[in-house]
Amino acid sequence: MWNRLISIVAAVAAMLAVVPATRGQDAAKPGPVPDISGVWLVAKVQPALFPKGGAPLQPWAEAKFKAADLKTNDPNLACLPEGVPRTMFVPLPMEIFQVPTRVVIIHEGVQVFRQIYMNRQHPKDLDPTYSGDSIGKWEGDTLVVDTIGFNDKTWVDMDGGLPHSDAMHVIERIRRVDHDTLVDEMTIEDPKAYTKPITAQQVYKLKPGWEIQEYVCEENNKYTYQGK
Amino acid sequence: MRNQLLTFPATAVLLLFALEGSTYAHHGINAWFDMTRSATVKGTVTGFDWTNPHSYVYIDVKDEKGAIQKWSAEMGSVGMLARHGWRRDTIKAGDEITLIGNPAKDGKSSMILDKAVLTDGRELPASDLVPGTPVGPPREN
Repeated sequence: MWNRLISIVAAVAAMLAVVPATRGQDAAKPGPVPDISGVWLVAKVQPALFPKGGAPLQPWAEAKFKAADLKTNDPNLACLPEGVPRTMFVPLPMEIFQVPTRVVIIHEGVQVFRQIYMNRQHPKDLDPTYSGDSIGKWEGDTLVVDTIGFNDKTWVDMDGGLPHSDAMHVIERIRRVDHDTLVDEMTIEDPKAYTKPITAQQVYKLKPGWEIQEYVCEENNKYTYQGK
Repeated sequence: MRNQLLTFPATAVLLLFALEGSTYAHHGINAWFDMTRSATVKGTVTGFDWTNPHSYVYIDVKDEKGAIQKWSAEMGSVGMLARHGWRRDTIKAGDEITLIGNPAKDGKSSMILDKAVLTDGRELPASDLVPGTPVGPPREN
């Protein structure tokens, strides 16, 4: 009987360890959080956030936008990471994992990952990076992700060539609106590059049974990047 | 390119009509391929790159006089092609294949592939997009 009880306790402990979404964000805040784990794929491809132009760009950013060229200076041509938020528009699958202190997104395209820290603030004096530094918190059923610490080497949108500066601040509100649907509402603030914040929405569909595959972009890339 | 193709009426057909974008690549496709036109070519497989970020199929297209025109077609990534039913040995040199996609803007005999019809009659999607995925408008300028 005693051995059986120990076995049950051990089994429950093991389940809790592998089902982190049912646990708290960290040890200090126990409680259930929504489960957004799984493989997701964009439901509609958005090549450009401003297909007809009209983005509220600062003059230097407008010039950079006009110089954006899919044939020469799209960082994708060099297999460089799309960075945040562009990576969220890429129509290749991404898998979301949740552990108590982190939400991790593995993107199949260009084999990049995002880490959203649930248990800390942004560090001071961040090194500029492609994906920036992301911290998250749950507001009800919505994961609110705050990202800063970017370099200025990426585009904001998929193929539209929207530029940004190292002052970009991305706020994402990610919510599973039903079992099969995830929505990321983005607000992009960058006073150096934009005269006012811009917003975007990307919808994803759950892809049961899909597994993230290897994607070595440098393997047979026939395109040439002529950017700096 | 149009004239070139029209010299190969028996084996290569270029259909001209507005086509809703149904393809995606890791790079912007509208800069490289004319997404308003569809190209269909039939020929013999000479090579198949099962690679990332794109796979490629190479074919010989023969005209009525027996002259060969070499075509290449850019496909999706390995992961998405596998999800569409492709495997590394789905096609091999010598296979007869029909390629349906969008022609290159530079007039060369290349295209970005939307789908392929194999020797056994199977039709497989061949881009990174799941068929039916809507695609919004590209940047206009």
